[in-house]
Amino acid sequence: MSTFSFASLRRPLLAVALAGAASVSYAQGGKPECLAPAKPGGGYDLTCRLASNGLEQASLLETPMLVNYMPGGIGAVAFNHVNGVRKGDPDLIVAASTGAALNLALGKFGRQYDASNVRWVGALGVDYGAVVVAADAPWQNLDELMKELQSNPTSVVIGAGGTVGSQDWMKAALMAKSGGVDPRSLRYVSFEGGGESLAALLGGHIQVFTGDLAELKPQLDSGTIRVLAALSDERMDGAYAEIPTAKEQGYDVQWPIWRGYYMGPEVSDADYQAWVERLQELDGKPEFAEMREARGLFPMSKFGSDFDTYVKDQVEEFRGLAKEVGLVK
Amino acid sequence: MWDFLFQGFAVAVSPLNIALVMGGALLGTLFGALPGIGPINGIAILMPLAYTLGLPPESALILLAGIYCGSEYGGRMSSILLNVPGDAGAVMTTLDGYPLAQKGLAGPALGMSAIASFVGSTLAIIGLTLFAPLLAMVAVKFGPAEFFALMIFAFASMSAMMGKDPLKTLIGAILGIIIATVGVDSGTGVLRFTFDMPELYDGIDFVVLIIGMFAISEILLMLEHSFDKSSDKGMAPIGRVMVSMKEVMSCKWSMLRSGVIGFVIGVLPGTGASVASAVAYTTEKRIVDKEDTFGTGDMRGLAAPEAANNAAAAGSFVPMLTLGIPGSGTTAILLGALMLYNIQPGPMMFSEQPVIVGGLIASLYLGNLVLLALNLPLAGVFARVLTVPKWILVPCIAVLAFVGVFQLHSDLHAIYLMLIIGVFGYLLRKFGFSLAPIVLGFVLGGLMEQNLRRALAISGGESGILWESALSIGLWIAAIIVMVAPWLLGRFKSKAVAAK
Amino acid sequence: MSGAADRVLSILLLGLAAFIAVQASQLDVPFSYDPVGPKAFPMLLSGILALLSVILFFRPGQGGKWPRGALLLRLLGVLVLLGLYAWFFTLAGYLITTAITVAVLAWLFNSGPAKAVISGVLLSIGSYLLFTFALGITLPWGAWLTSLA
Repeated sequence: MSTFSFASLRRPLLAVALAGAASVSYAQGGKPECLAPAKPGGGYDLTCRLASNGLEQASLLETPMLVNYMPGGIGAVAFNHVNGVRKGDPDLIVAASTGAALNLALGKFGRQYDASNVRWVGALGVDYGAVVVAADAPWQNLDELMKELQSNPTSVVIGAGGTVGSQDWMKAALMAKSGGVDPRSLRYVSFEGGGESLAALLGGHIQVFTGDLAELKPQLDSGTIRVLAALSDERMDGAYAEIPTAKEQGYDVQWPIWRGYYMGPEVSDADYQAWVERLQELDGKPEFAEMREARGLFPMSKFGSDFDTYVKDQVEEFRGLAKEVGLVK
Repeated sequence: MWDFLFQGFAVAVSPLNIALVMGGALLGTLFGALPGIGPINGIAILMPLAYTLGLPPESALILLAGIYCGSEYGGRMSSILLNVPGDAGAVMTTLDGYPLAQKGLAGPALGMSAIASFVGSTLAIIGLTLFAPLLAMVAVKFGPAEFFALMIFAFASMSAMMGKDPLKTLIGAILGIIIATVGVDSGTGVLRFTFDMPELYDGIDFVVLIIGMFAISEILLMLEHSFDKSSDKGMAPIGRVMVSMKEVMSCKWSMLRSGVIGFVIGVLPGTGASVASAVAYTTEKRIVDKEDTFGTGDMRGLAAPEAANNAAAAGSFVPMLTLGIPGSGTTAILLGALMLYNIQPGPMMFSEQPVIVGGLIASLYLGNLVLLALNLPLAGVFARVLTVPKWILVPCIAVLAFVGVFQLHSDLHAIYLMLIIGVFGYLLRKFGFSLAPIVLGFVLGGLMEQNLRRALAISGGESGILWESALSIGLWIAAIIVMVAPWLLGRFKSKAVAAK
Repeated sequence: MSGAADRVLSILLLGLAAFIAVQASQLDVPFSYDPVGPKAFPMLLSGILALLSVILFFRPGQGGKWPRGALLLRLLGVLVLLGLYAWFFTLAGYLITTAITVAVLAWLFNSGPAKAVISGVLLSIGSYLLFTFALGITLPWGAWLTSLA
């Protein structure tokens, strides 16, 4: 069977491989790729699709961007992968969020890694945390809830979609801390994701849900829930204009959930800069603003070194917080 | 209230949309039939395509519904033909589906599974059409305590599967639960049994587990059989290809009951087709399996999980459409697809966007009809897979297993893990273990622990919360009944057998 | 006779139970909102598993026939082959690794050399086309092809 030699195979294979849709997971084809460090369907998938659909719609890429998945360790597997296998890949961006910064701060990506192990490109959108109760709950504002927590922290069941040390838990812990309540003294239940927690709130199994603003829109429209506070710096527009921030109610808690991207540590400055500019240009397009709004995200507009500093500061801040609440020694 | 459905059908029956639903159904069948590449991936991969093609929202939804239904049908094929479940909901299908194929009844088995899928889906879609908003309100009443009771009930039902070797069934279930404890503890965030490997932080992926457990071990077993002709049970030659009316009628009650069970379980957020098919199978075994033929190729043992998992798949649309809460991974990605088109499912959707809801429901009806029409005549063709010689079939299984896991994880660790699990599965099978209890233990065990601890966190440690509501009391009583009654009966039976 | 296999298994399972108990007891829990915590469940499972393995030791069932000799070698061969397939999957690319793996597997299943090579080549190219074009799944080319491209 020597007729099937390697050399004779190569040409048709190359033709096939170069024909178009074909591409590589370990990005050697020169095709832009967004790696979502999770299974399909979650927030990271959304983050990648935001970039890939946006860039395609705005014709900012010659070839369509691929979205691949690498679940594992809340992003740890992808972070390690980029630091090991694809350090200098000029075509690869990886979806990240506030959760990634939190995990870096907690050392969950591996003790040897911190925010300076990758190059932070930029963020295309942001969502904000929210303190939510059912429409028939006794508390009309955050202050009333906090008063109750202060007098008896275990009298209120708080639930959210993450374990101790996750973003959702941090929201609850920071809220408690802002009112002088020890996060450890709360009654906190973790569910699998925001959807299950919302169902538990609607079913009356928990009384307070520390979720994200965007996922609440349908419930907000139908009046089944009340948002006591948005964990943003200022009030949001549109459907959210009525929701007061925690800050204006005297509790200084903010929890932005940014949706951004990083690249490998050894990506050249030129390649890095090209991506920064590409995303920046996309961010300025009105069509993209519509797309972002459809996904329930608010504008963020932090790119390049600006974003890099932002993430690094955030990691430092989280590290301090984690120490305060006793998560890391 | 029927307006929205009529409008939906009016939209769905345009030539373009019918072509889309057929194309989607075919592609979906292909996705579903390949192990590891289930509906989630099918939709994740094709969703951007629909968007890029510039399809209007209704048409895109119809395409997605076609893919979704198709992959639910396709998932059974490899269960029946190769003893390798295509997805989580198809594990129970292997129990009677594969023995049927071994008896030379692959064609009728495939036909039966298509009919049962159709019956289950149709029941569930009717339920969805009529009661969705109402059901959603009941579903949220199901809290951690009720889920815990449901898991107790499901484990109690498993005692029906004890079969020939109760000890090994139990050990298998415990091993499954142990595997489920790997990863970040969902209560405290503590890492359990991860040995500092980030690949294990999220626990062992279900797809990696079933592909390793079933596909890789199957390859090893097939090698044994091909090597040692005397031990080769092999396949009986393919007999008739069409399922008979008599067979269908013998399953009608099993299908109907299982369809209802599947739908109800599917409606609950957080439980899916795997739990639904397990509960349906064990329930049917209790009710109709008088001669103890379940597990040896009983049509009813095939029809029950098939009706249930399809009903559960449609049932999971209820919380998604009415509350905006995805009840499963697949509906989570459908939710993403809807949001892409600026459609926000939620309590207002039925009143504010009746055309979309109607169109989606109508396309689910259509998709199911199309699939039934496709699958019945094609059962014979698919059954021919079994006539493919081993030296082609086995490499195909290996390649599919690799590609399935790789496209899910883009990572080689997952493939190594799959191989390790495969060896483990092979050894267990050689020791006479059945794989289904392990998989069930894995699915149910994690849910059981989480919900117990959630319930106790809510109550602040008071165990009374576990039997506080009428729902949970009902489930506890049901669990006790299924545990005790057959045990007594079984003792009676075994004494009678011993006396012979 | 095959009770011996089950006895070996029961000892292995007992070892697993002990391992789980030790691992679980060493978990460091900063704090837990539920009274059960992450340790109790694995400990309970370990206990049940230990109990069941003791029962298995004293009441072993009928085991199957265990592979030996040439068959064992072939089984190990398949495992090594699949391990190498995984190892080279991204390095050498899908097409080459698949062609070789399929060919060797086919040969191990008694296809004869000619059929093995043909099926390896056809299957790898065919499945590649199917996955990339019909199903939109990305598969690795491998480093060698990329350097050419």
